[in-house]
Amino acid sequence: MVQTEHSIVAQVQAAKIDPEAADAFIRQYMGFIRSETVKFIHTAPENGREDELSIAMLAFYEALLAYEKSRGAFLPYAARAIKNRLIDYYRVEKRHGNVISLHAPLGAETDSGELLETIPDTVDHAEAYETRTASQREIQEFSEKLAQFGLTFSEVADNCPRQERTFTACRRVLEFARPRPELLKRVEDTGKLPISELAAGTGVERKTLERHRKYLVAILLAFTNGYEIIRGHLCQIVPAKGGDGK
Amino acid sequence: MNYLVMEIHPAYAVVLDEEGRFLKVANLRYQVGQTVEKIVELQLPQKRSLPLWKPLSGLVGLAACLCLVFFGYYQPNFTPYGALRIQINPDVELTLSRNDRVLELEGLNPDGQDLIAGYDFGGKGREDVTGELVERAIDMGYLSDGETVSITVSSPDAGWQARQEQEALEDLEERYGQAIVIQIGPAPEELPVTEVVIPVTPPASASSSEQAAAPILDDGGATGDSGSDYGDTDYGPSADGDSDYGPNADGVTDYGDTDYGPNADGVTGYDSSDYSPYGGEATNDGDTGYSPYSDGDTDYASRNGSADA
Repeated sequence: MVQTEHSIVAQVQAAKIDPEAADAFIRQYMGFIRSETVKFIHTAPENGREDELSIAMLAFYEALLAYEKSRGAFLPYAARAIKNRLIDYYRVEKRHGNVISLHAPLGAETDSGELLETIPDTVDHAEAYETRTASQREIQEFSEKLAQFGLTFSEVADNCPRQERTFTACRRVLEFARPRPELLKRVEDTGKLPISELAAGTGVERKTLERHRKYLVAILLAFTNGYEIIRGHLCQIVPAKGGDGK
Repeated sequence: MNYLVMEIHPAYAVVLDEEGRFLKVANLRYQVGQTVEKIVELQLPQKRSLPLWKPLSGLVGLAACLCLVFFGYYQPNFTPYGALRIQINPDVELTLSRNDRVLELEGLNPDGQDLIAGYDFGGKGREDVTGELVERAIDMGYLSDGETVSITVSSPDAGWQARQEQEALEDLEERYGQAIVIQIGPAPEELPVTEVVIPVTPPASASSSEQAAAPILDDGGATGDSGSDYGDTDYGPSADGDSDYGPNADGVTDYGDTDYGPNADGVTGYDSSDYSPYGGEATNDGDTGYSPYSDGDTDYASRNGSADA
């Protein structure tokens, strides 16, 4: 399918705002991403080289987020971004250079089996599967709950505070709200953040709360009943911090 | 740190870390609900701070250019940095820029104004202007062999001042060194005064004073031949006492001859009213000469035959 540069630009602009458009755009350009990856690793991205393709796709996504129309065509830029990201990835991976693959053959003979088979399997596969399906179900429920308030995980991730200071302020808000079921209830019912109460109770600026509203709503919803696994995942850190904070 | 995979997309996955951060990471064939340890995090495009300085950059560039032009070209060439004063008898002051460009030329006494009248110094350097002014002074008779030219430089910059003095001195020495004396520093004010005074106070010693006075009282050489002959009041070229304004220095004042006729014959020739082309021959013959023949016949009466004049 021949695309003029103009419609690519329009597609990129649409994909910047809409995650679904981004997914569609990436699926459409899978051939391009794959060929750029092959150019770099000089082999098909299979047999233990699939990670490179994933990294390349992430790089393509980053490129479409960062693309500016005034600074040239998109595809050459994306190709460059993919190449740079793969170089980065290889540098990080070089630390593990002296590690041998679990899939390496045991002996000289080709059919002697793999190294992996010699390791005792301590994981209870049935239980792990149970846990995973349970958490899958819970995450599904959680995302439906978020969808009621017009939120998706992508949006929440974009809204997540990145600066350490802001993140600490947000956590102070969460710790303040957590032992107050009436606040949580209000969030659960309306999807709205009781900003004035939170600001008064924690001394965090209203502006910060407003800016990270989506993120705070998502975490506060996770604190409500029914999300045991997610809460358990978060619980590993929060009480410790709460302990020395008070 | 463990990460719980919350959502997967083709190019990325959303994971929740244990501190409550939602992150976008590379989707290394994850499944929802899976817990992973190693992630490759999405690098968000850095917000470029270009808009802050970009509009300013043009202004800054312009300001830098202006500074360059001002300090590199305008200031050394067009702002006064010092003054150079030349004293011969004419007293002239040159305003100089740092690069020896002459910005202004001023005559400090009438002779100086005379010397620089009509002289164009535009765009010339100190060297050219001093040289040309000294030459002009020689041409106009202000300066003759063996006389002194004083040069004074004044400036807040002592080093510049000394250098200018030195250079001006060297330039002039090179060009006029044999003919005139060049000195640094202000000319002694009394000296030219006494020089002028000497010829006036003892009139007897005219011969000595004449030498000094001659170039100043330059009157075309008439005085040079017989000394100060004030008795000779004629303005003619030769001192012959002939004060007549007539064409011939014949001593005849010809005041009686008031005719403007060609011949100084006392004949006014007003009677000659003939306008005939033959006026030369037919003067004062009473012939009006309208006829071709200057026969004294006015010929007005040609109708009545021949008329008597």
